[in-house]
Amino acid sequence: MNANVKAVALILMGLFLYSRFFNGNLFYYISERFVWLTILASVAFIIVGLSYRIGSRHQHDHEGHSHDQFSWGGLALVALPIVLGLLVPPRPLGAAALTNRDVSVESLTSAAAPESNNVLARPKGERNILDWVIDFRQAGDPAAFTGEEARVIGFAYRDERFAADQFMVARFVVSCCAADAAPLGLIVQWPDSQTLTDDQWVEVAGHIEPGRFAGEAMPVLIADSITPTDIPERPYLYPY
Amino acid sequence: MSTVNVPSSPLELPDETYPDRTQAVVSSPAGPILSKSALRLLLLLFLLGFALVIGENDLTGSLGNRFQTFVTIFLSLFIEAVPFLLAGAIVAGFIEVFVNRELLTRFVPRHPILAALTGGAMGMVFPVCECGVVPVTRRLYQKGLPQSVGIAFLLAAPVVNPVVVASTYAAFGWGPILYARLGLSFLIASVIGLIFYLADPNEILLPETLESTSSVHHPAHAHGHGHHHDDLDHSPGAGLWQALGIAGDDFLDMARYLIAGSLLAAGMQTLAPQSALLALGGNAFTSILAMMALAFVLSVCSTVDAFLALAFANSFPPAAILAFLVFGPMVDIKSSLMFLRVFKRRTVAYLILLPFMVTLVVTVYLNLNVRW
Repeated sequence: MNANVKAVALILMGLFLYSRFFNGNLFYYISERFVWLTILASVAFIIVGLSYRIGSRHQHDHEGHSHDQFSWGGLALVALPIVLGLLVPPRPLGAAALTNRDVSVESLTSAAAPESNNVLARPKGERNILDWVIDFRQAGDPAAFTGEEARVIGFAYRDERFAADQFMVARFVVSCCAADAAPLGLIVQWPDSQTLTDDQWVEVAGHIEPGRFAGEAMPVLIADSITPTDIPERPYLYPY
Repeated sequence: MSTVNVPSSPLELPDETYPDRTQAVVSSPAGPILSKSALRLLLLLFLLGFALVIGENDLTGSLGNRFQTFVTIFLSLFIEAVPFLLAGAIVAGFIEVFVNRELLTRFVPRHPILAALTGGAMGMVFPVCECGVVPVTRRLYQKGLPQSVGIAFLLAAPVVNPVVVASTYAAFGWGPILYARLGLSFLIASVIGLIFYLADPNEILLPETLESTSSVHHPAHAHGHGHHHDDLDHSPGAGLWQALGIAGDDFLDMARYLIAGSLLAAGMQTLAPQSALLALGGNAFTSILAMMALAFVLSVCSTVDAFLALAFANSFPPAAILAFLVFGPMVDIKSSLMFLRVFKRRTVAYLILLPFMVTLVVTVYLNLNVRW
């Protein structure tokens, strides 16, 4: 394999990673905690790529190393993330991933909700879906939050378990990257629920009341207003 | 196409110093290989285009959405892991240039048990995750590291290192999960390393891995071993750039396996329903199997898997969480694919099966006999 081709491949990899950060799509893939790693790696890729040029002035046995197994097929595989990343429009996980994860009532209220969390200190008006789910879980009583105002953002999701006037406003909770995403959601009571399509991002404002979903008692968000919104800059929630 | 790419390399080489190299490059059958790969690339692009058309089409919208989910998960695994693999490759490059065989032989104890334990603890010196550890291990093997030490290092380092200790502490605090994770990973890795002590390196390692460093150097270097030091004396930056160049080679070499593994893991995640696995949480035996399967399939980096395990801490017993935290870093889809670049196939099979069996036995025992 030609050293120039390798150098170009490495530099392109660095530029690709940087472009994900620059376009703001990086949050679709990894937790905000690891963004600095990606930036660091993109710089490192470019330096390593350049070393093929700079290094060759000092010494020449780069190509003497026994990496002849690295073929053009291998290069195609290395290029695959870049090609897929450029051709497939970036989108965060949505309702499709939720159907695959086969979200159950149990996971609606318990998955990815750590016991200890300092979000309780957050003002009630700013609480996100994860905060509410943790609160519900710790209270254990569907009526504990009756009457409290809530304003949350998430994507809409419905399946056959939902009543005609119900939908779920859902988010994925990500601790490392989208590969470990766990769905969370609040059941929303809204007369026009059926007009919402899956994956439509909405801001729901309303208040909490004890309700039922799929035969089980749980807190339900009674919507006063539903506002369609864009995908937020950070589509996932982080459990810390 | 072939005439554009190939000649640039011999041109920048000083021909008089490396006559045989130049010849080799020129005479390599670049033409046919290129067109074959060009065909492959075209095929790939065609498939992608096809997938995109499906994605835009409302009739088959759910298939398109699944593909989108697959791409997002694949890229997230790749983007999350790639800095760690690059870091590992850079460490490997520096080992190649700056660590000499004599130092390594002096550093590793002769006694087989002590040697295996050293391998298990070496992660404290090279803080790498399960992606980065593979290129590092391969370079250490080329520097003459005994295979038992290398295997203990390969299996233990993704857990027994300061970064992972810190992240596990952040997730679980000082407690049995943290101690047991460190202790078990260290012990299991050392024991498995010891098992390989008596094996013939030729049976275990790929020929390229066994290749000693000096023979990798071009025969034209009459002064052979002293070469690096000469170079370093003349221009201090040379060693650095050389290490980075080797890092680039190692990265590209390993990245294929990382990408293939991420594709597989993303495919499994897009198709297999996770709730089926999670339903097994109640049973002492199946809960552990489920968490180990989950660790294998998710292929999440060992530096962060503690946070992920936290999400399951409510629905699974502690020993199952421990199985996830001990087995996952040793073996998962993407790392075991990368093992293929270092070890022979049969060894890779053992390196998957042995940690699996030992972790299973130990954690099932803990599950049945220990109150947490």
